[in-house]
Amino acid sequence: MARLGMVIDLRRCIGCNACTIACKQEHGTPEDIHFARVVTREVGTYPATRRTFLPVLCNHCADAPCVEVCPSGASYIRLDGIVLVDREKCIGCRACAVACPYMNRHFLERGLLRHGYSGDGLSVLEAVKFAEFEEGTMIKCTLCAHRVDQGLEPACVVTCPTECRFFGDLEPEAGRLQSLIREHGGKPLLPECNTQPSIYYLDGEPRQA
Amino acid sequence: MSASEQLPYVIAPHRFAVGFTRQTWWNWRIGAAFFFGEIGAGLFLVSLLTGQALGMAVGYLIVVVGKNTAHLLYLGRPSRFWRAALRPDRSWIARGIWATGLFAISGFALLLPHFVGVELPIAGWGQSLALAVAAASALFIMFYDGLVMKASPAIPFWNSALLPVLCLTYATLGGATLSLMLTTLQGGMPLPALARLEHWLLVANAWLLAIYILRMSRLEPAARQTVHLLLRGRYRRAFLGLVLLVGMVATLLLSRAQGHVAATALAVVIAACELVGDFTLLMVLLKSGLYSPQMAAKSG
Repeated sequence: MARLGMVIDLRRCIGCNACTIACKQEHGTPEDIHFARVVTREVGTYPATRRTFLPVLCNHCADAPCVEVCPSGASYIRLDGIVLVDREKCIGCRACAVACPYMNRHFLERGLLRHGYSGDGLSVLEAVKFAEFEEGTMIKCTLCAHRVDQGLEPACVVTCPTECRFFGDLEPEAGRLQSLIREHGGKPLLPECNTQPSIYYLDGEPRQA
Repeated sequence: MSASEQLPYVIAPHRFAVGFTRQTWWNWRIGAAFFFGEIGAGLFLVSLLTGQALGMAVGYLIVVVGKNTAHLLYLGRPSRFWRAALRPDRSWIARGIWATGLFAISGFALLLPHFVGVELPIAGWGQSLALAVAAASALFIMFYDGLVMKASPAIPFWNSALLPVLCLTYATLGGATLSLMLTTLQGGMPLPALARLEHWLLVANAWLLAIYILRMSRLEPAARQTVHLLLRGRYRRAFLGLVLLVGMVATLLLSRAQGHVAATALAVVIAACELVGDFTLLMVLLKSGLYSPQMAAKSG
């Protein structure tokens, strides 16, 4: 069975946040909720400073703590490895958000879906997208499962201007993602949490054969 | 990619910045639910062991009404609360729901004959079974919150096997203190054995808390940062003042006089001090929980 995942080449990321915006547009998430975001870090000492970027999203862990702690079974892992939330089953206990080391769970507070970004009612896009959400429940990155099911790549992948994101199946050893991870020393975030993430990052020099 | 050992003590101001991130999901309602669960189940169990029906009833009500109401007020979709019981095979919250349900049923069966005079048709082995289930479920509820918090690998300060033990001893202490207060309010003399138990539990809690803090101060950066918040940072006053000074030192000093006099006001003050310390500890544990940074905050 496939295990969908992503490899992100940090050497190519320019911190433009196009992925953040594409994700918001695709999912129409309410104010202050970002399934994809770019964490920024400043390094060095003035005047020799620079900024580095870390695009983050749900890691769709194979051993997902959010799924483990969910008491209602609302959080589950699809056969292709995508971690999803069934909004009909979610009780809004937020245990999954507490358990996620990557802080990629979001809670829809009461009243959040009643006003849009403008504060003057919902726009046409918001009216359509907000209908997919339910206040008092958790939402999260779906790895654009609705697009994947149609054979498309996630919105953050197709929109990246530097093409730093590679999406595909992590399972085949000879596949493109495994080759990138192997050849460029790909690493997941917070490996000490033992969650077996499906998102890998390349930040080093290519490994010598 | 893991947090480096030289991380400065920085809390990220927002989710686009690097640094430790505060846990803000579980708030005072969860703190209240944990608190009611601890002291209610503790009071029920201590009263069961000392044969005090009033204490059992008060403890039962604190758990069934107080804890459950606080949980329901917290849930995003309270009408679906029953769904929380569906995955006892993997979730400590689901196990807690089952324990609370069993406690409510077995405690009711035990208490009804005492207060209403109605004998349920479960005499003999049925009564013994209700007693065993009530005691076991009360014991579970006493350290349930520690298990729920420990189950989160994301917050290193909570991820310790010592946390459920600490919750258990705090629950027993809360139960003993409330039981002593109820005895005094009823005009009786406090049980010397219970008063001694209270002293020893205060000392034991102080040791456990010291070991916990010491252990965490030597672990990974997020746990060390929480220790910093508790001892020198944002929660210094609450932790040192209310948890240690009021909840432990004042309770211990005042309770030394309680074994000798049956002063109602003194018993109430002692219970108030202990409960303030207990609730504040749960709140600072929740509020000072930190997530590790996803990349080092400082490097060349």
